[in-house]
Amino acid sequence: MLRKTLSSIAFAVGLASAASVQAEDIEIGAVFPLSGPNATYGDIFMSGAELAAKHVNEDGMLSGDLKILYEDSQALPQQGVVAMNKLVNVEGVPYVLSAFTGVSKAISTLAQRSETVAVNGGGVGPDLAELGEYFWNVIPLANNEVGALARYAVEDLGHKRFTLVYVDDPLGESILNELEKTLPPLGAELVESHSIAASAQQFSGVAARVRSDNPDVVYVASYGSQQLQIVKQLRDNGVKAQIVSYSAFSVPELQTQEEAQGALFTTQSIEWDSEDPVTKRFVNDYEAEHDNSPTSYIANYYNAVRVFALLAQALEEQDKEITGANLLAQRKATGTFELVGGEVSFQENGTLLAPIQVLEVDGSGSGKVVSVKTAE
Amino acid sequence: MTAYILNLLVLISVYAILSTTLNFIIGYAGIFSLAHAVFFGIGGYTAALVAMHVTPEFFVAVPVAMAAAAVTSLLLALPALRVRGEYFVAASLGLQVLAVTLFSEWKSFTGGLGGVIGIPAVEMFGYPVYKPWQFLLMSLICLTIIIVIIRTLVHTSFGRSLKAIRDSESAALASGKNITVIKTLSVVLSSALAAVAGALYAFYMSFINVESFMLDTSVLVMAMVIIGGTATILGPLLGAALLMLMPSALTYLTFLPQTEIGSIQQIVYGMAMVLLMIFRPGGIVSSHPGGSK
Amino acid sequence: MLFLQLLANGLQVGAIYALTAAGFSLIFGSTKIFHFAHGATFAIAAYLFHFALTGLGLHWTFAVAVSATSAVVFGVLLDRFMYAPIQRHEGSFFTVFVASFGIGIVVQNLLGSVFGRGFMSVPTPLSNSVEVIPGLYLSPLNGLAILCAIACFAALHFFLTRTFTGKGLRALSENPELVRTFGLSPRRLSTYAFALGSLLVVPGAIFTAAGTGINPAVGHHVMLISLAATIVGGIGSLRGAACAGLLIGVAENLAMWKLGTQWSEAITFAILFFFIIFKPSGFFGRATVS
Repeated sequence: MLRKTLSSIAFAVGLASAASVQAEDIEIGAVFPLSGPNATYGDIFMSGAELAAKHVNEDGMLSGDLKILYEDSQALPQQGVVAMNKLVNVEGVPYVLSAFTGVSKAISTLAQRSETVAVNGGGVGPDLAELGEYFWNVIPLANNEVGALARYAVEDLGHKRFTLVYVDDPLGESILNELEKTLPPLGAELVESHSIAASAQQFSGVAARVRSDNPDVVYVASYGSQQLQIVKQLRDNGVKAQIVSYSAFSVPELQTQEEAQGALFTTQSIEWDSEDPVTKRFVNDYEAEHDNSPTSYIANYYNAVRVFALLAQALEEQDKEITGANLLAQRKATGTFELVGGEVSFQENGTLLAPIQVLEVDGSGSGKVVSVKTAE
Repeated sequence: MTAYILNLLVLISVYAILSTTLNFIIGYAGIFSLAHAVFFGIGGYTAALVAMHVTPEFFVAVPVAMAAAAVTSLLLALPALRVRGEYFVAASLGLQVLAVTLFSEWKSFTGGLGGVIGIPAVEMFGYPVYKPWQFLLMSLICLTIIIVIIRTLVHTSFGRSLKAIRDSESAALASGKNITVIKTLSVVLSSALAAVAGALYAFYMSFINVESFMLDTSVLVMAMVIIGGTATILGPLLGAALLMLMPSALTYLTFLPQTEIGSIQQIVYGMAMVLLMIFRPGGIVSSHPGGSK
Repeated sequence: MLFLQLLANGLQVGAIYALTAAGFSLIFGSTKIFHFAHGATFAIAAYLFHFALTGLGLHWTFAVAVSATSAVVFGVLLDRFMYAPIQRHEGSFFTVFVASFGIGIVVQNLLGSVFGRGFMSVPTPLSNSVEVIPGLYLSPLNGLAILCAIACFAALHFFLTRTFTGKGLRALSENPELVRTFGLSPRRLSTYAFALGSLLVVPGAIFTAAGTGINPAVGHHVMLISLAATIVGGIGSLRGAACAGLLIGVAENLAMWKLGTQWSEAITFAILFFFIIFKPSGFFGRATVS
């Protein structure tokens, strides 16, 4: 009799513990540059995504623990495709975070064909809006950013002469096009544009030519370590004009670079001091964990994960399976999302529409907001 | 899981074509070219353009790609082959770097740094081939045909002339061989066949950009040939498989810090080159483990 | 004025190229080893200078010493433990090249892992330009680089023409067999060649670390230029390599006067290509039989 009781108790305990382990981990993927020259970006993006996963799990938003599987793209398209293949075909994730325009373009076909959602939170090349309905962007693209900066520089600061130094790729070209389009109606002009190779490291010649243009504003359209070298060498070589750029300037190394102090740059508008609970929690927890203020890239990848959680939560409530196709349908059915930075909505083409803020590099790590422009 | 493996196998067969064709000129003719990626690229971009604007039919796009690479290599080979081996290496290096700038700037042909996106699936007699296993089959058939072509050539008098040139140019000249013609033909053939790999790659990825055709790629292919074993048929295949599988294999070793995997891969492959050159210069699969002089 | 500025920039950059090219040419000319890892020596020297100065907080003279020692040690170690075994076994030109390239990749990645993959520079007021005459900006670093290069070449010339080892090195590049009959050891001379050739990258590495800034791939670019300069200048001629290095630096910058800035790298290789096709012996090299 005792043995029977004991065994039935054991059986009941076993069942109970099995039931509590029942909830499986919910996995999504991320294709980030974890090594190679752009690895610093990978670290940055990862910190945002991880914080979001932590919050999602703390809140118990989903039936299981959210886990992010990271794969290394080295910021190279071919590696990105291999990584994406592993995530889609081996791990079977329905949602993947993507980074870098070249990689994003390379994986977009696979995303489309396998009906896996891929979300970009770092690249701003305008061609990222055209990668099919499974490719979403939680970051405003370069064309929006440039317009906002141009308006601030001309209307608020009274500058008229602009020079552009740009990497000769779609990003750089889109910025060139935008400047050429937006400056004349404001009464300003793009005096000269200088294109540079993506691998170039020597800019004294470019600086000399910029000086001879005698501009009020120099727009730097580059990324990674190259933009730091451009800024340093421009200043070293006597260029005193106002330096401006787009969201690539939000990385920590540039924010603390001596020669970059006083430069202006744009990002998606995020009021770091906002009282809205999502933003506040994000900022507080990030600062507590990392001893540093967060920047927009971190917020973007936080948001990308949060969007998944919100959509997946809605799907679970409707008893639907969490697949790429269902996530897409759910996104289309959802009007607005409460993300870090406020309430935003997705455009038809899967890109977030958000106001843009102009910030000044002041050494604090996240810059000082000087203006907010609505999206146009 | 199968789709992942199929993906790796397709990439291996594409690179195997590249390494086999490069081996033809390095291993058999002694012509060290660091510009192989250039012809890979020309093949890819040409096939992509044909597929997007004319027809994605395999038997149209691929021959056109081969022709483009052949003509370009002819323009390079004619002047550059007149000089001695070491200079050819430098000339090919120069061509490779120049080509990267050209690929990045010639936007109408290559899309610049943004690349060419949306390349349609390739068709064989009107039948679209895009499912991974179908594509793998197609690539393997191409690889086999190319291996057969090369093997046959090696065993003809053309092949013997090549080996004679490799071993001693002056002796070959003395025995009446027209060195320049032979060397030029071999370079042109090798480049045209490399273009086939380019076309396959473009169709498979549906997106190509200049990052796949830079000096790093030329060196990777050269490493495949040298590590696998020059002047053998199996060597380049082994080299291609090893060097393509290594990055993926490393991702399964979860005790390695994620952030360092890319560096570790490169270090492993760099050290492999060094150690092999010290201890087994002929490559892993080689007829002369001591290497041929 | 733009022209003058570009010329000045070109001379400074050219001075650095000339030194590293001379180092490569010395090694290749004396030992016939295609020391592709010369760029790695440059990177090591630059990073260790930066580390000694900012990481360890040493005085700049010590940092220079650390940098120089590391470059020489690296060059000699490679000669002893990599090139020597290869040459003993079989030592074809290309085996050496592949091994050298391999070590270059290893070093680049190790530096990236240890010191970080981003861009770094040594903060110094010397890199700030001063407007010397209207429209012409020069920094003290520019001037120092050129002076240093001149001093180094003078010292090199003295060494090669007046000292026993120096003359031995020159003999080695002409005829290794004869050198042996005179009782000198080609092996030991080869070590000296590596030591000296590697030492020559140090000034360039230091000035680059302080001025333009460095990242792990910096050696790569330097290597390609050194190779181009050695060939354009003529294999076996140090003077040629130096002049060619200077020419390349100036051409890279002057090209920006009229062409778009994205073509400057291509210019270097167009020059190289042109020389290989039409004048393979370069400026001062011996005529080569093809």
